[in-house]
Amino acid sequence: MISKKISESMKGSSWIRAMFEEGERLKKVYGDENIFDFTLGNPITEPPKALKKELARLIGSEKKGMHRYMTNSGYEEVREEIAAFHRERTGLPFTKDHIIMTVGSAGGINITLKALIDPGDEVIVLNPFFVEFKFYIENHGGTMRLVETKEDFHLDIEAIKNAINEKTKAIIINSPNNPTGVIYDEDELKSLASLLRKHTSDKHRIFVISDEAYRKIIYDGASLPDIFKIYEDTVAIMSHSKDLALPGERIGYITISPMIKDAQPLIDAAIFANRILGFINAPATMQRLVKDFQKNSVDIEDYQKKRDAIYNMLTDLGYEAVKPLGAFYIFPKSPIEDDIEFIKHLQRYHILAVPGAGFGRRGYFRLAYCVEMDVIERSASYFKEAIRDIRQ
Amino acid sequence: MLVSESIKKQMEETGWIRRMFEEGINMKKIHGDMNVFDFSLGNPFIEPPEQLIRTIIDTLNDPVPGMHRYMPNNGYEEVREEIAVYLKDFYNMPFTSDHVYMTAGSAGGINILLKSMLNPGDEVIVPTPYFMEYRYYIESHGGVIRLASTDEDFQLDIEKINSTITPKTKAILINSPNNPTGVVYEEERLRELASLLSEYRKRGQKIYIISDDAYRKLVFDNIKLPNIFKIYDLVISATSHSKDLALPGERIGYIAISPKIKEAGSLVTALMFSSRALGFVNAPALFQRVIGKFQRNSVDIMDYQQKRDFIYNTLIEAGFECVKPRGAFYAFPKSPMKDELKFVKIMQEEERILVVPGRGFGKPGYFRIAYCVPFDKIARAADGFKNIGKRYIKKG
Repeated sequence: MISKKISESMKGSSWIRAMFEEGERLKKVYGDENIFDFTLGNPITEPPKALKKELARLIGSEKKGMHRYMTNSGYEEVREEIAAFHRERTGLPFTKDHIIMTVGSAGGINITLKALIDPGDEVIVLNPFFVEFKFYIENHGGTMRLVETKEDFHLDIEAIKNAINEKTKAIIINSPNNPTGVIYDEDELKSLASLLRKHTSDKHRIFVISDEAYRKIIYDGASLPDIFKIYEDTVAIMSHSKDLALPGERIGYITISPMIKDAQPLIDAAIFANRILGFINAPATMQRLVKDFQKNSVDIEDYQKKRDAIYNMLTDLGYEAVKPLGAFYIFPKSPIEDDIEFIKHLQRYHILAVPGAGFGRRGYFRLAYCVEMDVIERSASYFKEAIRDIRQ
Repeated sequence: MLVSESIKKQMEETGWIRRMFEEGINMKKIHGDMNVFDFSLGNPFIEPPEQLIRTIIDTLNDPVPGMHRYMPNNGYEEVREEIAVYLKDFYNMPFTSDHVYMTAGSAGGINILLKSMLNPGDEVIVPTPYFMEYRYYIESHGGVIRLASTDEDFQLDIEKINSTITPKTKAILINSPNNPTGVVYEEERLRELASLLSEYRKRGQKIYIISDDAYRKLVFDNIKLPNIFKIYDLVISATSHSKDLALPGERIGYIAISPKIKEAGSLVTALMFSSRALGFVNAPALFQRVIGKFQRNSVDIMDYQQKRDFIYNTLIEAGFECVKPRGAFYAFPKSPMKDELKFVKIMQEEERILVVPGRGFGKPGYFRIAYCVPFDKIARAADGFKNIGKRYIKKG
């Protein structure tokens, strides 16, 4: 009864399941606290206190019609507030019409792609990558063109250039990046912009789809270059799963650049896509909730401390890793070539991680450090033994 | 070359709905909300049960750590368990939590279900008149919609369905109580449908019934909704709490897979994949947590029934022909003019009554009234319907 394509996709990821089940087994045998689970980007952090208070206030309010349908793009006053935030942040003329409230960024990327691509269109994705991007693109008849990044996971403009053709409709970028924690700097984004400009015309436009789910989680006082100011045909996708720790509530939005020429058809198409893909609208209460929290976020210092702890621990032990500047992932090199083998090896030391194969880049592995500090600290001796034993 | 050609085409087809909708907004600006009788939207003005809101407040005052985090894609185990207990009672079938999959409303549910089941070119039969979004849902996942008209009373026409079945038919998507007609499918017809589908089964073709049960609890006149899970074995139901608990904006519902489907386990795995791939990931956490306890509740059905009575009687008195709705909150009268779009515009211009033309549901010559509005609005619109009747309906 299952679609063939889905059966195949599921088979292709059966090793993930096997890994996951081994992890569950280990937890049962040794107890949750004795297993160091770095596999999930499901932060343990709670939403900010003020936000929780606001949620209670909203639910308790006597106002009528709080749970009804609203226009598919979301509440006007919420979109207006978010537009004001972006106006202030970028100096660009955002209005409520440039904002569409969505079911998280996963929902947002899907409606953007549905609005943009026709069967056979290509979307460039930079490797290593969040593997769901492939499914999002294929949902709407598109083809993913995977382009490798450089050794340090930064943009390889030459490689991107070679991948562009007349079918290219968009490029998805994700900075701060999952799985590497890398932030693209202004220069490389400018090079990307001029490359794209060279290959586009009124007849053939190439969009930047900027997945900014981790935009507020950046370290060392780094600042995220503003893609809206760098490239015109940009749609940014934002989620409140990470910055406000609300992943289960499915709330985010897309921001369509005011610099896009004749953007109205795109706005209409994205709203229409939100409806016909079955999202209808982003959850009502959560829309109202995030309205006044655009400038807030969970404690970034806390994530930075964890980043420091895990990065220092790993590099001290002899693991090689690019220092993450954002998000809550680190993507070290596997000490042996076969990353899946190495993950199995780590499991013997009660450490659960995801092999690079799960992100399209063999020979690496991902650790999600959105866990208790204590888990990171206690795992050190196990990481130590794991690398020592594999080198013998 | 800004947007996808396919979406552009789909949007153009529905351009007239948009224009009508805008006309309505304009009208409200000119005459004031009070003086425009808007029966065009299935957006109930009713509030959720008070007890439900209180339960959420209690939950927020005594928060469970991690209550806003991701959970498994199919939803919280304990909520699925509560729902399974309800389904077991309601359908008298051995539902377990493994047969329940939490979704972002029934629209979300039907989409992940179709994505999980359809191969490119697979056909899904939809009885007409029908909720137009079904077409997009089916086409989004590579399927082909095949329409089968119902009989004069909007009941299933088994012969029509039979002649619509091809080797490519994967499912039939039914919706009872029905949007737009308010009809509840008769048990006997459903049994005939089941035996028809069983015939195909004997020849090696499995055809599933996907039952959109969004209006399941909105049934009038003490009618009992036929137990579709007992009538046929390959049934998957998608339901929503948009109508029964008045939570449409919160996007919460679930899929129930018949315990008689042997592949239920792999269907759940496929649904998990589809909800991630389509971007739903999981049904919103907070509302999932509370609705488990409200499976037996619903908004005031008598209130809807009174509205049904009033609007139906008004229409008949005014001279309209209309099948009496037995559920949901819609009536679907015949247009006195063949061109119902023209008639709908006349009602709009002459009496400020907004309804949706039947072509919006694949059935020209009719129009839909959504009476999920305050009673007072229906009462004040009565004269309008009667005036229209006097002017445009020839007394036979």
